[in-house]
Amino acid sequence: MKSSNPTAIANRRYLVEMALCMVAYIAVLVPAIWLLDRGLTGPLRFVVAAAPVVPVVFVFLAVLRYFGRTDEFERRMLLESLGLAGVITALLAATYGFLENAGLPHLSAWFTWAAFMGSWLIGRLIVSRYYGT
Amino acid sequence: MINRIRVLRAEHDWSQAEVADRLGVARQTVVALEAGKYAPSLPLAFKISKLFGKPVEEIFDPESAT
Repeated sequence: MKSSNPTAIANRRYLVEMALCMVAYIAVLVPAIWLLDRGLTGPLRFVVAAAPVVPVVFVFLAVLRYFGRTDEFERRMLLESLGLAGVITALLAATYGFLENAGLPHLSAWFTWAAFMGSWLIGRLIVSRYYGT
Repeated sequence: MINRIRVLRAEHDWSQAEVADRLGVARQTVVALEAGKYAPSLPLAFKISKLFGKPVEEIFDPESAT
């Protein structure tokens, strides 16, 4: 039987919404790449290239909705892990920026995305360990 | 914040999951509360008080640090 605990409901809805976002992401990304590969030109090329960010916005909206539905402790852990992720990402980005002055190759902006997502996971592990959960 | 939640839970013979369901929180929240790692908000503290039928100051030690 499904739990009526509000946090369990929040978890289930979050998983469903994330799954829908992933489906939407693939549904936008694949045709976008296909169109770009076929040499789409003009302003539409930039619109199509940026289009996959729309489902990514919905990913963050799903996180926001989860934040509103879950319990106060999970909310605190979520905020603390996001805060840690921001600090770690800023430090990584600044460090690599300085290292570029020493001759390391210039990295794509994707570096900060990957760094943030990785740092969020690390932040979550640190926070969970701190609270012993 | 030091508290008597674990003792009161044992007196009622409830599992952490049962207490979590009765409070409408996740089990990990009960884990953190019992370990004294997390001080609940006033609304949650009053819910805990109501659940165990004890005043808040009999469950939480106001002298203990968070």
